[in-house]
Amino acid sequence: MWTTVLVSGISMGSFYILIALGFALIFGVTRYFNLAHGELVVLAGYVAYWLWKVYALSFVLTFPVAILVLFLICLGIKRLFSRLSEPLELNSIVLSFGMAIVIQNSMLFLFSGHYRLIRIPSLNKGFQFHGIYMSYSQFTLLLLSLIVIFLLYILMYRTYLGKALRATIQDKEAAALSGINVTIMGTFAFCLGAVLIGLAGPLYGCTHYLYPSTGHEVTLLAITITIFAGVGRLSGIILAGWILGLAESFTVILCGSSWREMVTAVLLLILLTFKPYGILGNEER
Amino acid sequence: MIHSTTKNSRYGFNKGLTPDKVSLLIGLFLLLLLPLLARHNDYILQVFTHALLLATLALAWNILGLSGSISLGHAAFFGSGAYASALLSLNLGLSLWITIPLAGFIATGLGFIMGLICMRLRGAYFALATLAFIEIPRVITDNWDEVTRGSLGLVGLPGFPSLNLGPWHIDFYSSFTASYYIVFIYFLLLLGVVGFIFRSNLGLALQAIREEEIASQAVGIHADSLRLFSMLLSAFFTGISGACYAHLVRYINPGLVYGLHFSAIPMIFAICGGRFTIIGPALAALIIYPLDQFIFHPLIPAGHEFLYGVVLILAVLFLPAGFWGNLRRTTS
Repeated sequence: MWTTVLVSGISMGSFYILIALGFALIFGVTRYFNLAHGELVVLAGYVAYWLWKVYALSFVLTFPVAILVLFLICLGIKRLFSRLSEPLELNSIVLSFGMAIVIQNSMLFLFSGHYRLIRIPSLNKGFQFHGIYMSYSQFTLLLLSLIVIFLLYILMYRTYLGKALRATIQDKEAAALSGINVTIMGTFAFCLGAVLIGLAGPLYGCTHYLYPSTGHEVTLLAITITIFAGVGRLSGIILAGWILGLAESFTVILCGSSWREMVTAVLLLILLTFKPYGILGNEER
Repeated sequence: MIHSTTKNSRYGFNKGLTPDKVSLLIGLFLLLLLPLLARHNDYILQVFTHALLLATLALAWNILGLSGSISLGHAAFFGSGAYASALLSLNLGLSLWITIPLAGFIATGLGFIMGLICMRLRGAYFALATLAFIEIPRVITDNWDEVTRGSLGLVGLPGFPSLNLGPWHIDFYSSFTASYYIVFIYFLLLLGVVGFIFRSNLGLALQAIREEEIASQAVGIHADSLRLFSMLLSAFFTGISGACYAHLVRYINPGLVYGLHFSAIPMIFAICGGRFTIIGPALAALIIYPLDQFIFHPLIPAGHEFLYGVVLILAVLFLPAGFWGNLRRTTS
């Protein structure tokens, strides 16, 4: 039984990493807390659902469309964010909270409040590997997430652009002084975030039920992982995602599935108790 | 920021009949006469009863808001107040005049726990922690089936009992006018309390903390304990509003009263109306909620709440002082 819990925890955790990466990247580079992150993931899921259901598009082909839609939305959001006044972090929370409400209600208007799921029968089957049972959906989540993490690693640590992004994450002013265009880096972070959300959304739609108000949970998840990991540490995000995934699947086994929703919130509160000034550590606030 | 402080502190010394006070009195007079103006129309009365209740939420939120903190977790107080009063009156058969204040104290207790966790945090991290905090009472209420009936919620809650005052018999249960006035009286009381707090030394100290926390501590303000105290006050009144909501609507469930809606609503009204003004948040509630119910709800039945998001976005981007705060700044 425990191997099953472990497998589902790790595969869910890997998917959480994929969800959190977009949030962490945008927050790291621009210092905007995007509370509408979860709503964007759900919106991408709805786009995929709609294409798959109405136009009977193959599931794989929904990814590029979702990415394209998210691309446009994220650029719009970036424009709104850039008009904010100080204090940026707090104001970005309030602004994106407003955006979350708008997106949530647009989804309610466009797709209604019914529970939707992208049902792909072949994903429900499973296979045995050295005595460990794994369903294809778990395998897909794990594999796709790991591929995306690997590609992002290459981008961030093996290219010049990645170097510039990391410099902006570490110290915005110093990066600007050494000739990096910080504004363009911000736009680029939003674009990259849109790609990550566009990948996560359709996967979310085939593993979780879609309904307009579910995005809040996803946002909380992304915040928790980002705060756990600290800014600009890819390995920290991977570790945090797996811990969260395992904590959730153990809670489901030990206490029942209805307590699952509390895990993220409690972890976030514990984290903030021990790191009261958040990610930046205690020298700044 | 500095502007509003000097304005607010000067406000306390204006003893004469200022335009502010005149407009406030006219507004309250109109609200007092509303049942007469809206005769024979229960719907209008119901909407304004609800608007007044939401205005009390915004006023209560703003007690904490004055210290500069933005809370996204007031649904925790609202929901626990609603559940506390509902369970006490259903299971123990206590009178609502006892259970509603008790609900306020229970919400205060929850506020204390939240304060212990969140008060060390500032700004964005405080907001995030309060946002996460709602999940705890919500999931507990959801899972504690024997007592709270879980996600099914509680139905058939007692309404306000009728009062016999000498020759008059006031039936709060069936008369929309009577329930309007009970919320109106609570609203007036809370408006008085918030007005008093804003002009008192506590209010000045909270504003000092908001402007410059370290400097305020240097002149002898106990920043942490005062912020906690303002949070407890805020939680108390939010709990009472929650209890009133439970007995007015007479049906609650965890997803409803612990929903993000009741965290968002007071913050939106306070920010749109003006976080550092006394009546701004209430005014915003009395304008935006009827606007939503009378115009947007019939037009777009599903998704009409996008209005709240839009006004919040507009306020943050273009009117950071809120429309009432901005109006007062330009006129005086």
